[in-house]
Amino acid sequence: MADLFEQLRLAAQALVEFGAHLFNPTIRLGVTGLSNAGKTVFITALVHSLVRGGRLPVFESLATGRIARAYLAPQPDDAVSRFDYENHISNLVGKRCWPTSTRQISELRVVIEYQSLSGYQHTLTLDVVDYPGEWLLDLPLLTKSYEVWATESIRLSRQRPRVDLAKDWHLHLATLNPESTEDEQEALTAARLFTEYLRACRDKNYAMSLLPPGRFLMPGDLANTPALTFAPIEPSTEGPPPTGSLWAMMRRRYESYRAVVVRPFFRDHFARLDRQIVLVDTLAAINAGPDALLDLEHALEQVLNCFQTGRKTLLSALVRPRIDRILLAATKADHLHHTSHDRLETILNRLVQGATAKAELAGAHVDVVALAAVRATREAMVRRGRQQLPCVLGVPFAGEAIAGEIFDGDTEAAIFPGDLPDDPTELFRSDKSAFRGLATASWQNADFRFLRVRPPVLELTENGVAALPHIRLDRALQFLIGDQLV
Amino acid sequence: MSKKWKHRPPAVFRLDQDHLIVDSVTKTRVSSERQAQIKSEPEFEALAITVDDSARSSRRGVRWAILFWCALGGLLLLAIGVAVNDLLTDLLARNQELGWLGLAFATLAVVSLLVIAVRETTGLMRLAKVEKLRQRAAEMIVSDNRIEARAFVHELLALTRKMPHLARGRADLEGHLGEIIDGSDMVRLAERELMTPLDQRARKLISVAATRVSVVTAVSPRAVIDILFVFGTALTLVRRLAFLYGARPGTLSLARLVRQVVMHLAVTGGLAASDSLIQQMLGHGIAAKLSVRLGEGVLNGLLTARFGLAAVDLIRPVPFAALPRPTLSDLMSEVLRSFGDAEEQQGSESSLAITEVQ
Repeated sequence: MADLFEQLRLAAQALVEFGAHLFNPTIRLGVTGLSNAGKTVFITALVHSLVRGGRLPVFESLATGRIARAYLAPQPDDAVSRFDYENHISNLVGKRCWPTSTRQISELRVVIEYQSLSGYQHTLTLDVVDYPGEWLLDLPLLTKSYEVWATESIRLSRQRPRVDLAKDWHLHLATLNPESTEDEQEALTAARLFTEYLRACRDKNYAMSLLPPGRFLMPGDLANTPALTFAPIEPSTEGPPPTGSLWAMMRRRYESYRAVVVRPFFRDHFARLDRQIVLVDTLAAINAGPDALLDLEHALEQVLNCFQTGRKTLLSALVRPRIDRILLAATKADHLHHTSHDRLETILNRLVQGATAKAELAGAHVDVVALAAVRATREAMVRRGRQQLPCVLGVPFAGEAIAGEIFDGDTEAAIFPGDLPDDPTELFRSDKSAFRGLATASWQNADFRFLRVRPPVLELTENGVAALPHIRLDRALQFLIGDQLV
Repeated sequence: MSKKWKHRPPAVFRLDQDHLIVDSVTKTRVSSERQAQIKSEPEFEALAITVDDSARSSRRGVRWAILFWCALGGLLLLAIGVAVNDLLTDLLARNQELGWLGLAFATLAVVSLLVIAVRETTGLMRLAKVEKLRQRAAEMIVSDNRIEARAFVHELLALTRKMPHLARGRADLEGHLGEIIDGSDMVRLAERELMTPLDQRARKLISVAATRVSVVTAVSPRAVIDILFVFGTALTLVRRLAFLYGARPGTLSLARLVRQVVMHLAVTGGLAASDSLIQQMLGHGIAAKLSVRLGEGVLNGLLTARFGLAAVDLIRPVPFAALPRPTLSDLMSEVLRSFGDAEEQQGSESSLAITEVQ
């Protein structure tokens, strides 16, 4: 019933917006990515290069001078905070540090004034939303009941390498009886231990991705509310829980979490997207090992299934907007040499093959790209004896370690992160020939080390703004909005 | 533990150590790379134009006609040789100086013939090269191979080296060569930077030629003049377009090109007829109602424009991918506009057009 009401509400919203967009063409760009995938940096770079004019040769309308100007406009939603573009850019350029992880939703609107190929003046409005990537993992919960979610979470937590991290929580879980009377203290302890387990899984050595519910890791303004005080417990019987039991309490709170948090989040920001870019930090998962890659694959599959993709028709535009272009981007491509980018793209393609096949079948355009919204490295070929190693030059953050070297945050180094295989399935093996990541080996003998690198030193152009270097940001823009600017 | 792929472990080199040789990678040639092709370009339909003339050569058996013409040509050559030899000995016998003069003329003739032959051959080779470039570009847009696209752009730059109005585009493109841009994007970028000014000129050339043909047909007193004029204009148009796109043909290669254009028109004519031609014929019908000559003029102009567009398809070194292909209706609307202007001042135009023919 609630679902039906929700669908009607979405359809009505779509209808109203369809009318508004007839006069003022608007594109809602969905920047999707799990936490640490680089959403904030991507949005900052995108806005900066549109508004300040970057070097984007492949983005046809800007390169040929058809975009007269682009400017920031007041956002449509007064209740959501504004994306702090100015602050992010000054941190990036001035302090040379990446934005800290996003804690709340923010929004930005860019208006592009351009001239079409036939010579008419037009404007295109681009709406972009930034949000904590953890919250994206809530979307799959929309279709799961408490029991399904609890069983799945518990099963997942008994797999390697999670089982070691979940020890404390498992001990507490064993003491709980779902049919005992509800007890606030037990719920609090369970929620705390469960959150600690989720947080431990996120450590860069394990880099697990599938960690719902998202608000447990990034509570936003809901910290300590009952809606966040629940945890999975194993349902003891089939059928509904006994009234007044712990199980019933957990279930009630899970339902209100879905109603208060997840549904509005989806409705306000994801139900009505026109274009989507999926940012994936493949390299962090490769750093951690095969388990992290498999986990990332499952997380992406679940998240991408929540979106409506397919060819745009008049009916779909009226009732249920669909995403007709999806760009899958392996971010931080500047951490490896461009000769390996094709391999990175095949790995990403392997990670999301289910979702892309579905989208292409429905008639959406899908493209895969290795991207660096802000390029922090240069490239170099290092000759060592007879070996030629394709390296990247950059300044790793303090504490980053590779091949017997620990960095202090000021030294520039040529980094060779290890050869990626041509065939991506090699990375997904979990038998004896699996590669070693940080989850199973120390940093000295891991097979791949992709280091976090500080933002580049930028030269200011004549008018005092820095042009951000990038890799394939122009191609991404051309794919995402290029066809709307003809 | 063994890896199935060639895996080298991570390594690091601090730049403050000095036992390293660090090269800028833009100068380094990467010798081989297995390309992963994971994307297709749904918005591009590869259009590689190949004029297939293998049908003739595949015929089996002795080709008597060719044998005949070869033998006849050999005989003629011999006859000329004997005649020249006789002439020279005759001249020498009569007068020493005259003989030397004759010999000088003969040498000059042979040398100039050689030069012409060399030029024609290079012209033909250039034409073949342009055709090959176009095919490679079409393949690269699909395969997205980064290294091949770089090589292609270098060749395109070499081909357009002598075109002064592309200086800016060439400089920009050379700047982009050092950046990380994928194969298909690189080809599109090259097309945009280098072909845009050329396309504009080509459009201008075609529409001017079509307008002239229309006007002359409409006002010429005799049919013979039309035919000659249309033929001459078409030939000049192809030659100019070929020079514009860097093919610089000689006589033989021009003949070859014209033949290819005619064949291309025959091949694509059926396709194009479905949309634009019918429209245009309809327009022509209305024009013919107004005046028979006007109708004929429009039709001839239309044919010239089609001819020019087909020629562009064949001599452009990059296929149309990033830029829109000029369409007949665009061109014809330009032609009709100028034609309308011409009609108003028919008196002055007719005398002008006829002097042009003569």
